[in-house]
Parts: sequence; C-alpha cells; structure tokens
Amino acid sequence: MNKDKLKIGIYELTGCAGCALLITDCEMELIDIFNAADIQSFLMVKSDNIEGELDIALVEGSVTTENEIEELKDIRERAKVVVAFGLCASVGGIQARFGNKEWKENYQKIYGDMEMTHTKPVQSKPIDAYIDVDLYLPGCPVGKEQFLHFFTRVLKGAPPEKYPRPVCVTCKYNENDCLLNKGIPCLGPLTADGCGSICPNHNLPCTGCWGPAEGANPTSEYFLLKEKGFDIEAIKKRMSNYSGTKLAEFFEQFKKESK
Amino acid sequence: MKIVKLKKTNLFLFLEIISKEADFWAPVKKSPDKHIFEVIEDFSKINLDYTRTILPPKKIMLPSDFNMFQASNTKYTPDFSHVSKKIIFGIHPCDIHALVIMDKFYSHEYNDPYYQKARDNTLILGHSCWPDEYCMCKSTHTHVVKEGYDLFFTDLEDTYVVWIGSSRGDDLIRLKPELFDEDLTDKDIQNFSQRREERDKAFTNDINFEAMPDLMELKYQNLLWDKLGEACLACGSCTNVCPTCNCYNVEDKPILGKNCSNISRCWDSCTLENYSGVAGGENFREKRSDRLKLFYTHKLQSYISKYGKPACVGCGRCVVTCPVDINVYTVSKSLDNEEVDTFWNRLSKEVTK
Repeated sequence: MNKDKLKIGIYELTGCAGCALLITDCEMELIDIFNAADIQSFLMVKSDNIEGELDIALVEGSVTTENEIEELKDIRERAKVVVAFGLCASVGGIQARFGNKEWKENYQKIYGDMEMTHTKPVQSKPIDAYIDVDLYLPGCPVGKEQFLHFFTRVLKGAPPEKYPRPVCVTCKYNENDCLLNKGIPCLGPLTADGCGSICPNHNLPCTGCWGPAEGANPTSEYFLLKEKGFDIEAIKKRMSNYSGTKLAEFFEQFKKESK
Repeated sequence: MKIVKLKKTNLFLFLEIISKEADFWAPVKKSPDKHIFEVIEDFSKINLDYTRTILPPKKIMLPSDFNMFQASNTKYTPDFSHVSKKIIFGIHPCDIHALVIMDKFYSHEYNDPYYQKARDNTLILGHSCWPDEYCMCKSTHTHVVKEGYDLFFTDLEDTYVVWIGSSRGDDLIRLKPELFDEDLTDKDIQNFSQRREERDKAFTNDINFEAMPDLMELKYQNLLWDKLGEACLACGSCTNVCPTCNCYNVEDKPILGKNCSNISRCWDSCTLENYSGVAGGENFREKRSDRLKLFYTHKLQSYISKYGKPACVGCGRCVVTCPVDINVYTVSKSLDNEEVDTFWNRLSKEVTK
C-alpha cells in the first residue's frame, strides 16, 4: 500500500446505507477516489477489509444498538478524524425523532417483551451522542457534488469551513418564487443547504431532509406557519421529521406548555 | 444627450440587429406573477409588463457562484469565463441606479477586475416602468435616471422615446439609423411630460430617508432590533435580492486527482450566522439582531454618510421577499416611530404572552 495515501474507513451503522451507496455512484470519479485514498475498509464494496489505524473514518447511520456503540467507540480509537457522514450520523435521522419516553412506548408496542439475543436496542441517537466528532456532512443522502468537494478537501488536509447556510440561499440563487410567501409550509429557512434546493426548484416545499441549519430560527418559522393557518401538530410533525435530536430544545418548550 | 423616437413595431427589428454578437438578457415570466432576467433568443418571450425581477441584474455581472482562478503550486490561471458581450434590455431606473452604486463600490478603492470586465462588456438598455405599492424609488430619488445607461426607452403607447446616454448607445442607433426619428413633435413632448406627471402621482410610499442616518444612530440600542432579531429567519434572502448588496465569500475547490484548485466566489450574506466569523472560531455577530443592525446601518446610514445617498434604490425586492416582513420599508417606518402591521411585531407580542 502507498504510504503517502491517507487511510480511510467507511462504516455503516443504522440507516438506509444511501450515503455509502452514493460513494459507489460517483462512477466517473471512482478511480480518482481510489487512487487518491487508501480505502482500508468499506463493507459495501470490498471483502478484504482491514480494521487498523485510520486517518479518516466516515461513519454513516445513527446508533441504535449497544453493539453499534462499541463499534463506534472502536472506530473513534483507531481514527484521527471522524466524520459524521449523512443526516442519520449527524442528527440521528428520521429514527431519532422520538423522545425517550415516546421511543420506549413505541418499542413496547412493536416488540413487546421479546428477548433480544444478538444485541440490546437503544434509543436512536446521532454519533456525537457517544463520541467526539470532528466533521459533519449532512444530507439524506449526501449530495454527490457536496461529497466530492468535502472528500477532496479533507484529503488535502483542508476540510471545508463550517459555513452554515440554509436552503433559501441556493433557492434564491436559483431564482425560485418563495413558497413560504405563497403560504406553502416550506422548511427552507430551517434546513442546511447542500441539496441545490432541489424540491423548491420543482415547486415542492422543502421537507428538511438535510437536517437543521445552524443558526436557524425554528421559533419564528413555527409561529409563521401557525399564523398562516397550519395545524400545530402538523407543523411540529413536519419540523421534527428530519431534525433528529437537534431541535429537541425547541420542542421541549411545548412540553412545558402542555404540562 | 440626444433623444430619438422609435416606432414600437420596429423594436424587435432593432433588437435583432444589435444582439447579433451578444448575449441578450431581458425580463421574462417565471411564474404568473414573478419575472426574472434571462438570456433569450426569441424576442416574443420578453415581458416588459413587469415591476421587479426576483433577482436584480447584479447576477448578470457577477453570477451567484463562479470560478475566479485556478491555482497550483507553480501556476495561477485567471478565469474570466463569466465575462462575455452582453446586452441587458428592459432594466428599470432603480436597477440602473443600483449598477451605478456597484460601479462605485467595485472601483473606489480596489478595482475588482471580475466586476469591471463584465461591466465593460455590458450594454444597458433601460426601460420605463410604473410603480406598484411596494416601490420606494421616489423616496430614494432613483425613479429617474441621468446616468448609467446606454439607451433608455420610455414607453409612449405606440412609440418609444429613446434617450441616448453614451457613445456606445449612439453606436447602436447608427447600426440602423433609418429606424429612428430625430424630430420629436410637440405632441410627443406633451405625452412624455404627462406620463411623467401621472407616474409621479402613482407612488404611494413615502419614506424619509434623509432622517435615517440620525435615527439609526439614536436608536442603535432600541428594542426594535431585538424584535427584528427574534423574527429574522436568517435565510439571507434580503441580501441576495438586494441590487446593491455585494458581499461575497471565496472558497477553495480542489480538484480530485489533480494537484490544483479552483478558487470560486459566491454571494455571501451578512444575515447568515457565520458571516462575521473569524479564525479561531470567534464570531462578532452571533445574534441575529446584531447582523440586522449591520445590514441596516450599511443601507440607511453609513452609505449616506459616505456617498450622500442611501444604499437602497427603493426597488421593493426586500419588501416582497422577506417572509417575516423585515424590510427597508417596515424598518424605516419603525425607526420613524410609525406603527407597522408586520409579522415581527405580532411575533413579539406572541412570545412575550
């Protein structure tokens, strides 16, 4: 193996594996990717995986079992840089939208008292609930251009600036007529950019699948949608769909209210 | 300055002659009630019955995202591929004023070659307009133009009165002089004056921009800014649609498999969280209210102090764009102690309940 190349491991926890699949979908760039990096472990594409020291670990999916907690901790110990790769790893994904109490009830409803022999399930959480994460790349799945840009910069030792901006920025670049202003419940202002505002480009409202943008203002959007006549429960559901654990603090205020 | 007349039926013929070697930008319909500037080949797509486009013509000079140069360890290759011969037709007085402001901005201390080259290659063919309830250009004195255009078309039913604003504009007329009539009749002049008078009366907005620098100073610690900060979605739309906002961010985009990088430039927005972030992770304006103060200080105060006029041309884009009603109109009126019915006022009452 080439000593100059950075050693990379790509791991999948609980998720749809779409982000890892996206890497294999970079067909024109695959040779460049494998030439530029020493891919040590990538279960989806190769069988001779080596689990040793790593320069960079890309971790996809959220943590939902005790085995995954152990696996994640092992990855952290071996890797110099850990990247939360995709929405589930970054914020917990759709499976992390429930609070602990709700999760326990749901679990009971579906599995009852069934004994789990292989591993014990835990409430779904993003990977930074268990380990220190160096870099985040949200997306559901991560965009191809976004991944290649991120990956190339990480390889060059210059990860992209953490520059949080919402979907609205690209949406305006694309000169779309603002859906929110037309009374359509678009989550563009709350959602991290990276998708190229693909839904508003097709006149469909943003559903928030890149997860909450840093610096977003959920309170204002919530009251704005409420004022536009949307049902409170429907707004909460829409806003919590992809926000994982990141808007927990925001939703906490409603629990206090209802008490 | 010279003034000529063009029959409306001859417009397309004239446009065809002048646009042969240039990208021809004109307003077209994007949705039933929204317009955008677009490169067109079919003149029948032109829609001059518009008030404002979603994005201002600054996008034609400097695209929202473009490559500035390519750099490797040994070489630096500038990239001016965004520069081409362009004609912008149908641009309104407020947007022409905005370009004049941009011209100053990008040349007063450091000449920005990316703007300058694009601007030098662009002909400005203005067109008269009619205000709607959001237009504030009479208050900013940008509803009429005296400079910044090559030709300016004033619509008088079946003819255009065409003002020639530059020698480049004159050259265009000379490509087909027989289309133009140099003799304006008394009737034409009367029609022109009458239109001007009626248009002046059609403005419904009046903002006291002269008072803004003082009011900004006096109300810098006012609770108004907290209210605005509470509601601001920090979406960056106000700055993106503003024809005079010119901040940008520069990013390295290394090319996979090659030992070089594209250095790209995209529009930035002072209302975004990391705009005032610096090395070491510090951020001078973490609060949304502080960022809005920066934006409005620039528009309503510091630019007036420096250049004698606001950095707002009254186009009304922020008014129709901001989902939470934070715009030059509502902010100016509030600074001037007028009660305005806005989402941010209502939100403030809602959250303090």
